[in-house]
Amino acid sequence: MTNTTKKKSLQNFFLKLAACLLIISLVDFTAGAILNKYYFNQQSGYDYLTTCAIENTTADILILGSSRAVNIYNTDIFAKQTKLSCFNAGRYGEPIFYHYAVLKAALKRYTPKTVILSFDAGNFSINAEAYDRIAALLPYYKRHPEIHSIVELKSPFEKMKLLSSIYPFNSLPLSIVAGNRESNKAKYSNSNGFIPIEKTFEGELKTFDYTKEKQLDPVKIEVYKSLMQECINRKVELVVICPPYQIHRIGVDASINEGKRLAQQNDIRFLDYSADTSFTNYPALFADFRHLNIRGVEKFSNVIIDTLKKRFQ
Amino acid sequence: MLFNSFHFLFFFLLVTTFYFILPHNKRWLLLLLSSCYFYMAFVPIYICILGFTIVVDYFAGILIENSNGKRRKLFLVCSLVANIGILCVFKYYNFINENLSYLLHGFGRSNPIPYLSILLPIGLSFHTFQAMSYTIEVYRGNQKTERHFGIYALYVMFYPQLVAGPIERPQNLLHQFREHHHFDSDRVFEGLKIMIWGLFKKLVIADRLGVYVNNAYNYVPEQDGMTLLLATVFFSFQVYCDFSGYSDIAIGAAKVMGFDLMANFRRPVLAKSTGEFWKRWHISLSTWFKDYLYFPMGGNRVSIPRWYINLMVVFLISGLWHGANWTYVIWGGINGFYLVFAIMTQKTRDRFNNFVGISKHPKLFLFSQILITFCLITFSRIFFRSRTIGDAFLIIKKILSFNGSPFNGGTSILIYCFFAVFFLLAVELKKEFYRGSFTLSHHPNFWIRNSYYSLLIILIMLLGVFDGGQFIYFQF
Repeated sequence: MTNTTKKKSLQNFFLKLAACLLIISLVDFTAGAILNKYYFNQQSGYDYLTTCAIENTTADILILGSSRAVNIYNTDIFAKQTKLSCFNAGRYGEPIFYHYAVLKAALKRYTPKTVILSFDAGNFSINAEAYDRIAALLPYYKRHPEIHSIVELKSPFEKMKLLSSIYPFNSLPLSIVAGNRESNKAKYSNSNGFIPIEKTFEGELKTFDYTKEKQLDPVKIEVYKSLMQECINRKVELVVICPPYQIHRIGVDASINEGKRLAQQNDIRFLDYSADTSFTNYPALFADFRHLNIRGVEKFSNVIIDTLKKRFQ
Repeated sequence: MLFNSFHFLFFFLLVTTFYFILPHNKRWLLLLLSSCYFYMAFVPIYICILGFTIVVDYFAGILIENSNGKRRKLFLVCSLVANIGILCVFKYYNFINENLSYLLHGFGRSNPIPYLSILLPIGLSFHTFQAMSYTIEVYRGNQKTERHFGIYALYVMFYPQLVAGPIERPQNLLHQFREHHHFDSDRVFEGLKIMIWGLFKKLVIADRLGVYVNNAYNYVPEQDGMTLLLATVFFSFQVYCDFSGYSDIAIGAAKVMGFDLMANFRRPVLAKSTGEFWKRWHISLSTWFKDYLYFPMGGNRVSIPRWYINLMVVFLISGLWHGANWTYVIWGGINGFYLVFAIMTQKTRDRFNNFVGISKHPKLFLFSQILITFCLITFSRIFFRSRTIGDAFLIIKKILSFNGSPFNGGTSILIYCFFAVFFLLAVELKKEFYRGSFTLSHHPNFWIRNSYYSLLIILIMLLGVFDGGQFIYFQF
């Protein structure tokens, strides 16, 4: 191969490469803009509730947590009995990273009176899935610089992936379509984030052996500490609550122990109902081993409000 | 380092750039060092096992070539024992020990042999088989020994196919390391396109289907029959796209640098019989077993009962090659049985087809053949995917009840899964039956051709599962 042909081959390659990158960038930009428009146009569904939590709510009581927050804290009961507005910013399957991001975004807009962090057993366990779940925050990355540090925990290359306008909406096209449909609007749009479960627990009790779990994820612990510190700095009342489980447990969950210890260190109240017999002895109050049903929710919400009454006043 | 990671993307770009910058006589060193880095990105210490295999087989090759008669055979046997020995220690030791424990327990005795707490070196079965093919070919006189230690090491370690194949033969690969590969933009683009299609198969199809399949197969007792049925069908597509996706990325990455690796898959979902399926599926392993096990046992040039035994032995060993678990052995056994049964009933089936008259309708006949083959292969994969034999039988029992709903995990997962399967089938059907027409990937117009690949990239960004993890075949 002569030098001239080599040069021509290289020129040809870079020209073609530039043309390909141009097509990809154009499609990425256009499709990304459309997806962005319709994502934030949703009026129902989980993404809509996340947008409400991050961008809209100004509720006095802000509830953070996973599905156990979404299904357990009845915002209506809280609002009626405390005469304060309440928003449930929990999201199914989300770990501490999501809660911290929501809190940071909310604190940037306003200062809630009370923040309730719903705590789960295994909150600090080492599992890669927790980091994958940060994906729920990707659409907010460009609009909310305050959550950058949390989103970037997802992977070392997240910043680079987010150069694409489409990537933040990865796996979301169908839920965006559903969230924009008129017929879907009634779904969760007026619930202030609370989603009740009707069914009653059936089946055998699961056994959880907590004596085996030794290692905790230091990153999650660090994020939990930062969340507490953020509330302290902004003088927001933070209460950490661990709702009840309908399980047979051996030993004590290491995450709950650590969560409790760190809360005490920071003078933050940690209410542990995980093994409270006034709930655990009544399977009829549960929908499954992790979630209270609508009857359990009523009882639990009242217990919490009674316990925190003075603070709410 | 996974092919579907950014880590690999940077690694690949860097290695390829330096490959073309460096003079020809230094390129083998770059490839060898980068292959070492690639392998050590998984578990660094296991490079020692690979090093041991390379040293043993390098000298075995020279000794075999320099000797005659029984000594020649002795050196081959030594090399094979060393390779299979490593496989046995790292892959089968605990499996054999566990079965021994069960056996001794039956006699009321305990097993005094301790278990080894070791991780299986990644891709061990692949590079061991590739190394073995070298010494066997040298012994057979089909391949001259490679005296350059670095180039021989590169033959075993060449990073694109190091951990999950294709399992190359020395006749195809070794000489390519000595050839001068010029930068050829068409070839580079061709390689990149193969890589993009491989990534699409892995991220958009395999990992998307994996979401549904894992959900079902990891919690078998809680699943309905319909969910498990659909998960089993999806798994068939998942494992194909996962493995062939890997092979495509490997073949594409090698092509970019000017190397031609052997094709590993030829649209196996459209096979018309189980026999044909094995000519289309994991071709590099099937031909390895055919050349080094089936033919030496006599192949089909023996008595009929012996032929059947040969087939069963090959498939049982192939099952064991995939993993140290009885589920894989049963999977291999079922597939061996399919072939034996197909041979035994060939005439009866032909008579039946003529009697029913289906052979007069070629399209319907073809469709029924493809469907039946797919169902048979999919059934055997229940054992391939299940964690235990008990799980596999529970899944079969539940599937046969046909109860429940397939909406495991919500409708959207199901819609994405069906989209993935239909997209794959459309491409495969087009390639199989309409070659030359509706061509987008090789359209003469530059803009149409590249818009197609841009669309694939966009779909990867939009629908790919980026947290899907490693390739299924890495564990073998």
